[in-house]
Amino acid sequence: MRKFITGVAFALCCVTSNAQETIKIGVIADRVGVSKPYSEPATEGIVFGADDLNRKGGILGRKIELLIEDDQSRPDISAALARKLIDQGAVFILSMSLTPATQQQQTVTMEAKTPQMTPMNSGDTLTTQLQNPYFWQTGPLGSIQIATLLAHAKSKQLKRVALITDNSDLGQLLGRFFKGGLEKSGIQVVAEEVVARGATTAAPQMQKIRAANPDAMFMAGVLTAENVLIFKAYREMGVRFPIHSSYNLSVPIYMTVAKGLINGVTFVDAYDPEKPEVKAFEAAYKKATGKDPFNLHGYGYDGMMLVAEAIKRAGSTDKEKIRAAMQGLTYAGVMGAKGMKYSFPDGKRAGYDPNGMVVRVYEGDKQGRVVHVGQK
Amino acid sequence: MQDFLELSLSATASGCIYGLVALAYLLMIRPTGIINFAVGEWAMLGAFGGFFFLTRFEFPYLLGMAAVVALMLLVGWGTERLAVRPLVEKGAPLLAPILALLGMLVIFREVISVSFPPDPHPVPYAFEIQHQKYFIIAVTALVFAGAWLFFEKTLWGKSFEAVALNRRAAALMGINLSRVTAAAFAGGAGAAGLAGLLVSPNVSAHYLMGVPLAIQGFTALVIGGVGRVEGALLGGLLLAFAEQLTTRYAPIPSGYAQGVPLLFLMIFLLIRPTGLLRARGA
Repeated sequence: MRKFITGVAFALCCVTSNAQETIKIGVIADRVGVSKPYSEPATEGIVFGADDLNRKGGILGRKIELLIEDDQSRPDISAALARKLIDQGAVFILSMSLTPATQQQQTVTMEAKTPQMTPMNSGDTLTTQLQNPYFWQTGPLGSIQIATLLAHAKSKQLKRVALITDNSDLGQLLGRFFKGGLEKSGIQVVAEEVVARGATTAAPQMQKIRAANPDAMFMAGVLTAENVLIFKAYREMGVRFPIHSSYNLSVPIYMTVAKGLINGVTFVDAYDPEKPEVKAFEAAYKKATGKDPFNLHGYGYDGMMLVAEAIKRAGSTDKEKIRAAMQGLTYAGVMGAKGMKYSFPDGKRAGYDPNGMVVRVYEGDKQGRVVHVGQK
Repeated sequence: MQDFLELSLSATASGCIYGLVALAYLLMIRPTGIINFAVGEWAMLGAFGGFFFLTRFEFPYLLGMAAVVALMLLVGWGTERLAVRPLVEKGAPLLAPILALLGMLVIFREVISVSFPPDPHPVPYAFEIQHQKYFIIAVTALVFAGAWLFFEKTLWGKSFEAVALNRRAAALMGINLSRVTAAAFAGGAGAAGLAGLLVSPNVSAHYLMGVPLAIQGFTALVIGGVGRVEGALLGGLLLAFAEQLTTRYAPIPSGYAQGVPLLFLMIFLLIRPTGLLRARGA
């Protein structure tokens, strides 16, 4: 009898212990560095997603525990943090930092065979420079952005355009993708300008562009303050050529800091406010947090949901099984044009649908309607 | 010609901002020998002061501007009391307060970074967008005229100069060194905060705006020299014209023009480390 009671007590202890064991997901975010304005809302989206899943019982009957670290967008720190998270038992790492930092984390996740995903980085090289079968990317690639913008601009019969960006890593990277895409389409880049971080004016760059007399100007920069300088110089000089911008203009802060300067600017976005999934997400987020979400929150939310889906399909927290489940996943999330699905067929680790971006236009100071979908 | 005139106006306004930051350095270096790289963060605080008083609480512009300057005078005075005076009183080497101020730089930035949302914050123009450059130039001219009159025509200004020439002799003559140092830091913070406030309608107030301004202001100071107030303005204007004319007219890719301030810094440090204007009697 005594043995029986001891056995029952031991079994109960084990059951309780298993039920309480959480599934640890590592998040490497930037809380004080240069990408904080993007990383912070996207990470809030992850936290909301994890809370939402936990409210519904978690995954595989276990709660999700987020282990959030701050890498300040510094690649050297980022790799060390990836190692720390793996040592702490993270079965998946979500990278919410800059592209170079995410790249550096891969050296650790590949060696440690730990699944890793970036829901927001758009550098095309993340899945091509390193053949890491444990890494996936869901942010819309730079090449998709320019292809979508060009598809929209096709009707405008552009022959000569100007390209302007900033000197951030991502701004330079997007600038290169934009230039490559423009030249591939037979459009001549007649002026190529850079506005440095910390500049107090963009007047000289805008004068050079004005002198080149382009049919349109493409903006690939990602630094908000420097982009606002470009808009100010554009308005002050009274030039009239249309502006087509990267997805950076999809961040709602421009409606405040560039008031009166952005009417008519078209920008590529991965967020369609008319999409039913977006409406449901916005309502749920507002109900839970009291705040209105925007596209960056959606990137993080989708990332969390994809990870949860992969773990569910794997049926366990075994990293190899999660990797296998992730590779092959198809998922319709908040981001992307209506009907878009992320997909990771064998050999493909950048899951954003090339036809899943939309082009929107600023109407006054508001982000307006979708005027184009995809690359056709 | 239209391009050149437009650019001259733009460069003059940018040069005024650099000049104000250089003046902030100069006000502290002259009497104390301390290089305070936190001036960039002070400029950032001035910009956030603008956001706070002018955008959030919608003060009339001049009242908001006065509130920002008053706030910055307090910040400068407080910084001196917290990070400089204790070290000076203990006889620490000159490097000690410089390092302590670098620590303050990080504290200022992190406090703002965690206290405000990460996006840039809008600050209104004094008048209309097209008049902001003239406003920057006018305010800077007033500040430099005031600083020049202070140093040349007032007893307080002379006491600053006396401390700059020889601290020990000045102390023996009855000049209160602590008070001069505190006033120098308060004045430096006021000038830097004003620079931040004036530039913020163009670039918005954001937590990473300080370091570039600190570098540009320091370069302007090296060009103009620490000996005279007008050197700070001259250095700022020369730097801004060099930056913008290079970007506009030099047959090099736009990205390379960013190296101009650093090139200037190296050239002046190697060839004329005292800057263009030397102190009178030096």
